Amino acid sequence: MFSSLSYNKQKTIVIVSFLLIPLILLATFTYYPAVKLIYYSFTNWDGYSPEKPWVGLDNYKEVFSNPDIFKVFEHNFAYFVMGIIQNIIAIYFAVVLNSKLRGRNLFRILLFLPYIMNGVAVAFMFGYVFDTTNGSLNLFLNSLGLTSLGETSWLGTDGLVNYSLASTGLWRFMGYNMVIYIASLQAIPRDLYEAAKIDGANSWQTLWKITLPNMKPVIQLNLFLTVTGALEVFDLPFVLTKGGPAGASETYVQRVVDTAFAYNNYGLASAMSVVLLGFVVIVLAVQQFVLSRGGNK
Amino acid sequence: MKKRSYYLLAFVIILSTILSACGSSGDGKTSETGNGSSTPTEGNQTGGEAKTGDGTDISGKITFLTNRTDMIGKEYDEYLKRFNEKYPNIKVEFEASQTDYNQQAKVRMAGDELPDVMFIPTIPNSDLPKYFLPLDDLGLNDNMTFKDFKAFDGKVYGLSSGNSTSGIVYNKKAFADAGITEIPKTWDEFLAACEKLKQKGIVPLASNFKDKWPLNNWVYDLPRVIENNPDFPNAKLNTDTPFTMDNGYGKALSLIRELNEKGYLEKDINSTNWEQSKKDVASGKFAMYFLGNWVINQVIGAGTTADNVGFFPLPYDNSGTVRAALSPDFFYAVSKNSKSPEAAKAFVKWMLEDSGYADFAGFIPPLKDKESTLAQLKEFKATGVELQEGTPDNMDVANISNKAQLDLPALAQEFVLAKDPQSVLDKWNKAWAKAKKDLGK
Repeated sequence: MFSSLSYNKQKTIVIVSFLLIPLILLATFTYYPAVKLIYYSFTNWDGYSPEKPWVGLDNYKEVFSNPDIFKVFEHNFAYFVMGIIQNIIAIYFAVVLNSKLRGRNLFRILLFLPYIMNGVAVAFMFGYVFDTTNGSLNLFLNSLGLTSLGETSWLGTDGLVNYSLASTGLWRFMGYNMVIYIASLQAIPRDLYEAAKIDGANSWQTLWKITLPNMKPVIQLNLFLTVTGALEVFDLPFVLTKGGPAGASETYVQRVVDTAFAYNNYGLASAMSVVLLGFVVIVLAVQQFVLSRGGNK
Repeated sequence: MKKRSYYLLAFVIILSTILSACGSSGDGKTSETGNGSSTPTEGNQTGGEAKTGDGTDISGKITFLTNRTDMIGKEYDEYLKRFNEKYPNIKVEFEASQTDYNQQAKVRMAGDELPDVMFIPTIPNSDLPKYFLPLDDLGLNDNMTFKDFKAFDGKVYGLSSGNSTSGIVYNKKAFADAGITEIPKTWDEFLAACEKLKQKGIVPLASNFKDKWPLNNWVYDLPRVIENNPDFPNAKLNTDTPFTMDNGYGKALSLIRELNEKGYLEKDINSTNWEQSKKDVASGKFAMYFLGNWVINQVIGAGTTADNVGFFPLPYDNSGTVRAALSPDFFYAVSKNSKSPEAAKAFVKWMLEDSGYADFAGFIPPLKDKESTLAQLKEFKATGVELQEGTPDNMDVANISNKAQLDLPALAQEFVLAKDPQSVLDKWNKAWAKAKKDLGK
């Protein structure tokens, strides 16, 4: 039946039918829930009852008037700091492993492996590493003779706990960033380096003047992933500390989850999610603005 | 152009038939609901016949959503065999819940997809008639503990599947090693016992502080028995300062704070490991737990003999008389939409009377005329402890707590870790008063 149609019509049919399924999936599992989320954020829904009382902007007022809600972003800051360090290390390894190094594929795989592991499994595993009395980290420090350091409560000290958790994230995602950087390194034309070599540039100069500027769009992408990742941390503190000690490692998303599932306030939780979405957009816009200034000169 | 619109039309038609197929199956559900709500009268009659013991006339297929996923394919199979001897025409399917039973049950409530027999999640009692059938016709009311716990408008909607109390579960060998010959009857004796254990290099009490839920008994049970007022948790409704140093909350929290300050808890309470602690209590590296009696069987299962595990009430003061809280576990309920409510009710009744589930799970049997077979519970009762039944949660209190985002075990964590515990109480009093005002209670 299709043979009677012109090529263009066949093409349209194929395109429409191929796109239909992914679009339906996208609509049902992404856009429909998102619209519902925004709708719930204007209600006082408790999560199970059929009635969803409309409360207008009350939830948003609550989010912005309760200082406790925003204070948890301080904890997310640790993840941001670690994310920056993570990117620097990733670039370093990418540059090293992009050079002619014996066994570089093995090293690449070794560094990338943690990313493949399930987040909850990683968190669980690090629970044993950070344990104060039986943890491998403290046992290691003790065997080095650092007995006072080997008494540290990595997950039980205010201020330190977020950095301990974030370092787990660093271990897990560094390889992922590295792979992206390697891909972008390989896309830099070789002749640029050859020209620089002929002009007498040393390797430090080529890194600063050729490699990094050429990687800029990818660095931008990775920074964006880092920032949004830092804002949305959930699984690590949820599994390892449950936000403890006494709320010192509670993150924003964890608070949203608690608000919805522990305190039955789906309306407020939805509003908090929408606010987080807004934040991510703002951060992205600011970052785009700051980083793209150099390129437009 | 014309043909193209034909094909577009064809797509629209296909799509709409798919969607309407979904819709019609949804319609089917609601018509079932209609049937379901018309049957309760029949259910009453057949339920009455069930009491006579002749179960052959009840038939149907029911689903039971259970939190004890570990029993599926093992104990439940055996229960089903015995159940079918009495009720040969009832088919029971056991459905394993996800880890968070409460949450899953609520999601299914929202979707109107409840199993026939289930446990009641945390919903206000006023919502019970919306989802469940009254169970008064089972003839168990006079024999049930906590029969008013899940009742509304004089009708009972939930029956306790087992009760538990809280107290000190301890390793008898560890006590003997430390030279403790008698179980402590006052708080001072308890502290002295802790000191002896500590001197021996045994961690006196495993708090599992980090995991938060093991602190539940400190904040839900202890305050009301210290106050000797079963309704104490609900009395919060009448005050703007529910947390003071000299009421049940302050006193209970000060006890665990004292234990921590004296070094009677784990070395680093922010780094505890629940699964490991069971093995450590079993082996005698840790001596005690302050938890519900359900933990007894778990400690035994972690590698010790039943006669090495003891159980006594926590002496929270120096008066010498001790009370302990009796609390219900999950409540059985029959869904309003059940297609065979008689069968579901018969199953609930059988589970309570004949299954032996309470003993298996280490609960105190919910039926008043049954005694627990667990040696530890007998030992516990022999101390002369008074078991105090709790009262159902007042929904206004729960709503204010949710509004204030008050989580008592989390408050306990803050209280124990804070430099100035009074400031923690002040903070939560303020949050409580504000939430109470906002809700106009």
